[in-house]
Amino acid sequence: MIDSAVIEKCQNGDSESFRYLVEGYQKQAAGHAIAILRDREDASDAVQDAFVDAYRSIKKFDNTRPFYPWFYVLLRNRCYKITSKRGDAENVEDIEILAPQSGLPGEERYALERALHSLSRKDREIITLKYLDGLSYQELADYLQIPKGTVMSRLFYARWQLRSKLSGNVG
Amino acid sequence: MNELSCENVLMASMASADGIASEYTGEQIDMHVGQCENCCRELAQMQNVDHLFKRQTRMEQAGDLWSVIDKRIGDSTASQIGWRPFALLATLLAAYKLLELLPARDPGFSFKLVPLVLVIALFALIKENPFKINTGLILEK
Repeated sequence: MIDSAVIEKCQNGDSESFRYLVEGYQKQAAGHAIAILRDREDASDAVQDAFVDAYRSIKKFDNTRPFYPWFYVLLRNRCYKITSKRGDAENVEDIEILAPQSGLPGEERYALERALHSLSRKDREIITLKYLDGLSYQELADYLQIPKGTVMSRLFYARWQLRSKLSGNVG
Repeated sequence: MNELSCENVLMASMASADGIASEYTGEQIDMHVGQCENCCRELAQMQNVDHLFKRQTRMEQAGDLWSVIDKRIGDSTASQIGWRPFALLATLLAAYKLLELLPARDPGFSFKLVPLVLVIALFALIKENPFKINTGLILEK
């Protein structure tokens, strides 16, 4: 794994090697932060904070494990810290989470996008990780720091919500 | 084993479609769905949504955060140095001064270089250039 060699250098204090990790994962991280926060500026802040957190604690990272799930936990903490500061006063931008090249007619894709936005943060997070990143139940458990059995029920209720939001909009 | 309720059947059925084994057998699930009109309808709708979302991908995000992160890492490293190395230097210099005050001793020229060596060692330790010009300074108008 290329990451492990880079991380080893970072663990030995080479901050320039950290650039490789930032450049390699910043887009993915921004996509994940936007799915939770639905605000580009907040998402950018969360990603920056998470990378700084990662740099500070990289020495504690077990280099035999993949980097991104570990980083995702830091990113998620930062996102939820922002949402707790924000409280109920959400200033949500009209951000698209789904890529346009889905093969669906515009109206149907818009309905999917609206349904996704109307979910709770936690439901939207698990749905996007499952469908847009194609994560397995074990990976979802690692990313969300919950047992595999809880993944099954949380995913089911999120799907249930999604179905409720979509019923009548998409045939 | 939990009761074979509609909710549990739907959950098990969706998990099974994802390749996850549940506490119910495929036969139990099929039998329930076959007899329950509500479950049959709900399951069809959920599978339809599942099928739609499986074809979606995430919108790619633009942006280059390295310059900002690099600056913040630099700042955080500098702030992490803290006061301890400087306190150690002050203590060592004070000890040097006391030794220097001892009467009837001539430790030689090399002893006079000790403060310089200590200062160089400190800057090497904290990886800072003492001659660095701070280009971020802004002149007051």
